[in-house]
Amino acid sequence: MIRLDNVTKVYKDSVKALVEVSLEIGKGEFVFIVGPSGSGKSTMIRLLLKEEEPTKGEIFVAGKNIGRLSPWKVPYLRRNIGTVFQDFKLLSDKTVFQNVAFALEVIGKAKHDIAVRVPEALDLVGLKDKVGNYPNELSGGEQQRVSIARAFVNRPLILLADEPTGNLDPGTSVDIMKLLDRINRTGTTVIMATHDNAIVDAMRRRVIELDGGHLVRDQARGVYGYGA
Amino acid sequence: MARRVDYYFKETLQGLRRNGLVAFAAVSTAFIALFLVGGALLVGSEVGLLIAKTEANVEVSVFLTNDIPPSQQANLQQMLETMPQVQSVHYESKQEAYQRFLSLYADQKALISNVSPDALPASFRVKLKDPSQFDVVAVQLEGQPGIDRIVDQRALLNRLFAVTRVFRVGVLVVAIIMLVSAAALIGNTVRLAVFNRRKEIGIMRLVGATSWHIRMPFLIEGTIEGLLGAGAAILGLFIMKVSFIDPLRGKIGFFPLVGTPQIVHTVPYLLGGGVLVAGVASMLAMRRFLEV
Repeated sequence: MIRLDNVTKVYKDSVKALVEVSLEIGKGEFVFIVGPSGSGKSTMIRLLLKEEEPTKGEIFVAGKNIGRLSPWKVPYLRRNIGTVFQDFKLLSDKTVFQNVAFALEVIGKAKHDIAVRVPEALDLVGLKDKVGNYPNELSGGEQQRVSIARAFVNRPLILLADEPTGNLDPGTSVDIMKLLDRINRTGTTVIMATHDNAIVDAMRRRVIELDGGHLVRDQARGVYGYGA
Repeated sequence: MARRVDYYFKETLQGLRRNGLVAFAAVSTAFIALFLVGGALLVGSEVGLLIAKTEANVEVSVFLTNDIPPSQQANLQQMLETMPQVQSVHYESKQEAYQRFLSLYADQKALISNVSPDALPASFRVKLKDPSQFDVVAVQLEGQPGIDRIVDQRALLNRLFAVTRVFRVGVLVVAIIMLVSAAALIGNTVRLAVFNRRKEIGIMRLVGATSWHIRMPFLIEGTIEGLLGAGAAILGLFIMKVSFIDPLRGKIGFFPLVGTPQIVHTVPYLLGGGVLVAGVASMLAMRRFLEV
């Protein structure tokens, strides 16, 4: 599903965010990307979304070399990738329903299609009874569920989550992880960048560790750190 | 498709409402610029009308000396009448010239009392088939005895037209400067609208909206500002016509004046210009902000 071949990303101020990283993630996998702040996790996510170009190396998403993708095709790449962030990125002047529907509206989906898919997605994340609420009326965990519903409503092949539990308390984080696990079971590849060791240790999934831009560990059923 | 139109309309309306004052400034500048463009076009139409009207009547005056012998005068008349460029020749005697003078300056008694019938020269009033053939006729008359002066009325009119042309260029230059400021202001409202909605735009990009889809509401917003300016300019031209041109109609002799047909003629130029300037300004304003 995703392959990185010797990917290096150097920013203008010669900061090396990623150095010679090669990895492959199969369809339906659940992968943690761990490492301290500034280790290159977020850079990897931006590269996968083609928000940035690698300095060297090639990236394949769903069989396509995204370095060769023309700019006008980038939106279609992104329709295959759902994204969830630490800060939820919800629109405060829209209701829960409208926030999720927005993702379908702006890619030109038909109204009747939206009317079916949005309730389905909200049902999946357990927010069926909050459709008319505004984000500021919801708890942090609920807001993150809305953003997951929005990321998943178009049934992407891949779900990228960048520190999705970063703003949540441990109990709520566990609920979010259960939700991501359920999404993973529908066949969606889930890639989650985090430095929440409790979660990584509890899930026992593949762990890719970055440190200073280097890939230092790729372990099938890993924990957050050695000796943990 | 219906839902997209619905979406664009909603977004555009919201955008215009959100930065009302800046949008107002942009529309007013577009209005002034396009009003001036319309004014310049109307000056052009006026000159056109004037040329059409006068070229039909324009004459070459061949003034005769006071001591011309009758035989030479008959000779000249025959010479003029046989020229292929000449349509008709009319002899205006001193007495006729005086009568015309009297009617032209009927309200200036002092002037009339100072001029005796004998003071005005007799002349041949020559109408040409093609008024631009004056030089050909003048060369053939050159050196003929009994001729005092040859005057081409067209030369006088040309001087008038040259003045109006300079005036028109001046108006157009001001109009272009105003159009550039209008473009800058429209670009600014678009930029503001983009800035106000940067969060939505960020999400739209993430979920895979095409850049055209993201740009469309802003493009429509800018274009509507241009169109509103053009509409106001057209309205302004009509108001100008009703309040300044219509009262003059028929009061200054043979002078033709621009009217509704000429203003209607400017409409497509003003609307097209407004849309073009606003559209280009909006696209340029967005180019820097909406890279995928």
